[in-house]
Amino acid sequence: MGLPAPPPPPESAGVLDRLAADRVTGALRGPGGCVYLLNGAVYFVECSAAPGFDVRLTAAGRVPARRLQEAADAAGARPDGGRSLVSGGWLTRGELEICHLAALLDAAFFVLPLPPDGTSFTPGATHWLGPVHRIGIDALLRATARRRALLDAWHSWAAVDTAPVVAARPRGRDHVTTWWQRRLLAHADGRRTPQEIARLLGQSAFLTLLETRRLAAAGLVQMPRDRTGEPSGGALPRRHPGAHLDERTTGDGAERPTASWHLPVPELETTPEPDVDLLVRLRTALEENL
Amino acid sequence: MPGIDQALSQAMEIPGVLGTGLIDWTSGLTLGTAGRAPHDDHDAAAADTSEVVQAVMRNTTFDSAGSDDPGMEDLILTTSGGYHLIRFVHTAFDSQTYLYLWLDRERANLAVARMRLRDLAAALVSD
Repeated sequence: MGLPAPPPPPESAGVLDRLAADRVTGALRGPGGCVYLLNGAVYFVECSAAPGFDVRLTAAGRVPARRLQEAADAAGARPDGGRSLVSGGWLTRGELEICHLAALLDAAFFVLPLPPDGTSFTPGATHWLGPVHRIGIDALLRATARRRALLDAWHSWAAVDTAPVVAARPRGRDHVTTWWQRRLLAHADGRRTPQEIARLLGQSAFLTLLETRRLAAAGLVQMPRDRTGEPSGGALPRRHPGAHLDERTTGDGAERPTASWHLPVPELETTPEPDVDLLVRLRTALEENL
Repeated sequence: MPGIDQALSQAMEIPGVLGTGLIDWTSGLTLGTAGRAPHDDHDAAAADTSEVVQAVMRNTTFDSAGSDDPGMEDLILTTSGGYHLIRFVHTAFDSQTYLYLWLDRERANLAVARMRLRDLAAALVSD
């Protein structure tokens, strides 16, 4: 049982930097998804892990799926599907731009930074929406890094990222949640993962991950069980050597070992006992303010 | 049926305005800016205001419990020199954006600016 993985190194644009410098137009496909460029700036990002432009609009009941498919089919060599949705009265210009950007950002979080290998570039390839809005690669990488930092602050609860979301009801106190958390808990049926809930609701996969981790930290979502299938809760996270002052070394002139702080062990975070739960929540609050 | 650029142009007509922008609060990315920003740095203003919004959004104190939507309307920061207004843009689909307005305290009327920004945010996403 190791400590959680350290945060990734500072992001580097790599291949995207080169394509931006050359002001290319086309599609760069990586392992996680696809980045569309126009004259070296990003105008769309697709990723199966994040609800796309069309999923967001259909899940909200804003535009019928059939209409979006027609707009995609009608897009030719110079795609302009976004504009056709506006001129057809299906979306306002502002809605198009905001939905486009929300989808782009959410996909970029899972696609960027691209690995140095395993990408393929198709010059001239286009996305049916057309260039609704273009973003410089540097700005997009900075935005993605800020999102990454928000999620990393809750990395001790990363085990919930890929597991079915199971709501927990700790005893003994009322729990106040935000609107986002209430909606997430309402769809935590013990079968869907955070990504599947995001797709079902057409909502940000990034925010769904973040809120699932925060709910787990508050004890309102269960941490997944370990590989043996045994519940891993019921105890405080184990102390690590060096995390305490050794009483045997308090003699004259003996130097006290320095107390050091250790990351919590996520596998031990399930805490059905109210007292333990309270301690874990206290620590979470303290860590938030570090 | 204005787009982002038109909405920001209209925001620049609000009395006392110094600058404005449309920003995603989960990432601090600007979707557009107009006019000036504090310290002439729109990106820093976007990143800093988005941190304020994040702090508000993750706390239950400001949540309208029981409502069908987040219920967040606007944030107002006043300083000796200026006003900073943040207005959430409510879309039918999921999104996380706000309009930011920076005003000269000597020339601006806070109540008027707030109403104008509210109307601009609504017009951005309605027919």
